[in-house]
Amino acid sequence: MILSRVAEACFWSMRHIERAENTARLLRVNQSFVLDVSLPNLERWRPVIVVSGEEQRFLDRFGEDAINDDDVVQEYMVWDEKNPVSIMSCAYWARENARTVRDVITLEMWEKLNAFHHWLRGGQGRRLYRTDRDAFYVQVQEAAVLFQGVCHVTMLHEEPFDYMLLGMLLERAGQTARILDVKHHALGSPKRHTAGTPLETAQTLALLRSCSATQPFLKRTRGTPTGAAVVEFLLTETAFPRSVLFCLQRAQVFLQQVRPGHGVIGARPVELLLPLIEELQSRPMEELAEHGIHEELTRIIDRVAEVCQAVHNDYFDPSFLDQEALEA
Amino acid sequence: MGRGKPTNGAKREARPLFDGYLPLEGVQDELFQPNGSARAGASGVVKRLNALGETEFRLRQRLADEAFLRSGVTFSVYADQRGSEKIFPFDLVPRVVPGKEWARVEAGLKQRVAALNHFLCDIYGEQRILKEGVVSRAMVEASVGYLPKLKGVRPPHDVYVHIAGIDLIRDASGELVVLEDNARTPSGVSYVLENRSVMKRVLPRIFADSSIRSVDEYPTRLRDALDAVAPAKNKDGHVVVLSPGPFNSAYFEHSFLARRTGCHLVHPGDLFVKDKHVFVKTTGGAQVVSVIYRRIDDDFIDPKFFRPDSLLGVPGIMEAYIAGNVTLANAPGNGVADDKAIYPFVPDMVRFYLGEEAILGQVKTYICERPKELEHVLANLGSMVVKAVDASGGYGMLVGPRATKRQIAEFADKVRATPRGYIAQPLIELSTAPTWVDGKVQPRRVDLRPYIITGESSWVLPGGLTRVALVKGSYVVNSSQGGGSKDTWVLEET
Repeated sequence: MILSRVAEACFWSMRHIERAENTARLLRVNQSFVLDVSLPNLERWRPVIVVSGEEQRFLDRFGEDAINDDDVVQEYMVWDEKNPVSIMSCAYWARENARTVRDVITLEMWEKLNAFHHWLRGGQGRRLYRTDRDAFYVQVQEAAVLFQGVCHVTMLHEEPFDYMLLGMLLERAGQTARILDVKHHALGSPKRHTAGTPLETAQTLALLRSCSATQPFLKRTRGTPTGAAVVEFLLTETAFPRSVLFCLQRAQVFLQQVRPGHGVIGARPVELLLPLIEELQSRPMEELAEHGIHEELTRIIDRVAEVCQAVHNDYFDPSFLDQEALEA
Repeated sequence: MGRGKPTNGAKREARPLFDGYLPLEGVQDELFQPNGSARAGASGVVKRLNALGETEFRLRQRLADEAFLRSGVTFSVYADQRGSEKIFPFDLVPRVVPGKEWARVEAGLKQRVAALNHFLCDIYGEQRILKEGVVSRAMVEASVGYLPKLKGVRPPHDVYVHIAGIDLIRDASGELVVLEDNARTPSGVSYVLENRSVMKRVLPRIFADSSIRSVDEYPTRLRDALDAVAPAKNKDGHVVVLSPGPFNSAYFEHSFLARRTGCHLVHPGDLFVKDKHVFVKTTGGAQVVSVIYRRIDDDFIDPKFFRPDSLLGVPGIMEAYIAGNVTLANAPGNGVADDKAIYPFVPDMVRFYLGEEAILGQVKTYICERPKELEHVLANLGSMVVKAVDASGGYGMLVGPRATKRQIAEFADKVRATPRGYIAQPLIELSTAPTWVDGKVQPRRVDLRPYIITGESSWVLPGGLTRVALVKGSYVVNSSQGGGSKDTWVLEET
């Protein structure tokens, strides 16, 4: 049992780092994608904004014209401090959360966060962003996975660590589902006449790269990747660490681990997550596709958000639990 | 073996650390007599440090600095916008207090804290001391720290001042006297413990040879006292240390004390009040709290009770306190006891409540609220130290002999405008102690803050925090204004 504040800070610190890595990857992949395909009417950058959940705020500030502008979008997603999920904001909040639990995390972890924050803020990151955009995104991704690695090998694997991993896994599951949803939308429902066209192949490959999944996917399949195979892989491949099912199964393990006894506390998140996992495990892909992939993904995304809210209610702010729970 | 061949241990004679050290003319020094020879009580330590030599000392001081940097013993300064953390400078030359002198100080401190406790109990109870005219009612009622709403609320064991810090200085006659009482949230004890642990690591031999009283008991004594004052009807809840949060200048100390006493370190948002009970939010659900060692001032602890504009506190916590469901250490309302305008009456309190004479002397103090004394103060501003009664940390004060004409004139206006807000004292020549500055040992001014813990009974930490003004000629020892600290060695009585 630890303080709720400590659990929450651990959860969010890691979650922000995961988000920063994800954003950097999306931007990097998209940058190379828009160079490969020269279709002017295609939505070049909108999907990135949509995945981040920032569409409305972005449109309000910059207008419809800007949403496919390379520079405006990247500037917004990397540097804009008014964008709560920009890489800059994520690095800041990861560090702020960690600052309040410095006695819980290890010195090495703190140093990595600090270095990342100062690299972004101190001009070095800016210079690289200007001269070599690709290298910049790689550097952000590396800073994030370095932090996660250091966390794994230096921190005690007990409650605070469990919350960090929960934050990471729930964020990752949601991100993969959102990327799939948006890209799938862009791909359109698989139609006979586009299947196998160079455009579909390019889009499918970009989708895989957006989830760092190209090589793992190719180990599981042969021939030209089809949209349906990729969707199945990213949703249910239990050996792939970014698939929705993998993340949710692991999250479930940590949810069980932090749950004290068999009381009221912590029951809700487990109850919410379990049916979702079972469905993903057992439901054939064809059935999913019948219901409409978009509807299914929306349901997954909403359910993951509910799990996060339940974790918040039970562990981070127990003052709203009823009296029964207090005595349990 | 031939001559001139270096052999182990028989190196060239090291230059003694205190070579050529002389106290300032007419100023008391903690280690040396005016003629430059060591004080009787300190001679053993001086001899050992001299034998260590200057070169070796320089190396050990560097080791100590590195140890502090690594362990992150820091404080942050309010005026610094970035809220960055700084190292509290540590001076490796210890201050030495002979066992016999300490025995008297210890008895005096216990006596003083007992009197302050009686005073608070009385002020929030029968008010005998006011009725009998020993302390003026007007003075008490005008004190910003006085909380009349708390009349009739009695904390467990009638303890108000669980942790006291009584600032001592050595006056011109050579006696340690009380400069100031801190009965609210005295800080600095973490430095005492950290200084000591670094000292033992860096000067192990000298330490071992000097029979020094240990300070390690502090955290267990503190925890025992906090446990002892748990409310009778709610004994088994959590004991927590309440900090305003990581941006507070003493956050390091808050987390240090929580760690060492085995209490949770909580921020205001970690607590909430329901049905006049305080709960702490944990991943195991909300759990009852019995005792709160709070490091937040009265004004900010409960926005429902004190300042509605405060975002810091725990709404409803005072209700829980008044209902007797939680103990706050130190008790709210203590500010009336360590008010600088009440200070002159402490010897009268000792007499009134304990029927004894005060063991520790104190500094002659003029109360500006009294017209005659105000007149005297205004006529002699240039030679006095004037302090705002509700300020601390060396802020809001005028050091007459060091001030410009203009500063004096401006301060005079302030004092005339609100005389109740000020007291004045003659400038005391603080004693000096040898201090390592710019590559040599030089005399610098010091004070001493001992800590007294009171639960079922009182216990005095042997020694305390010696603060030193590192700037030449300065009298201001506060960490926020260029002060450093020293380890304080109370020697076993022999």
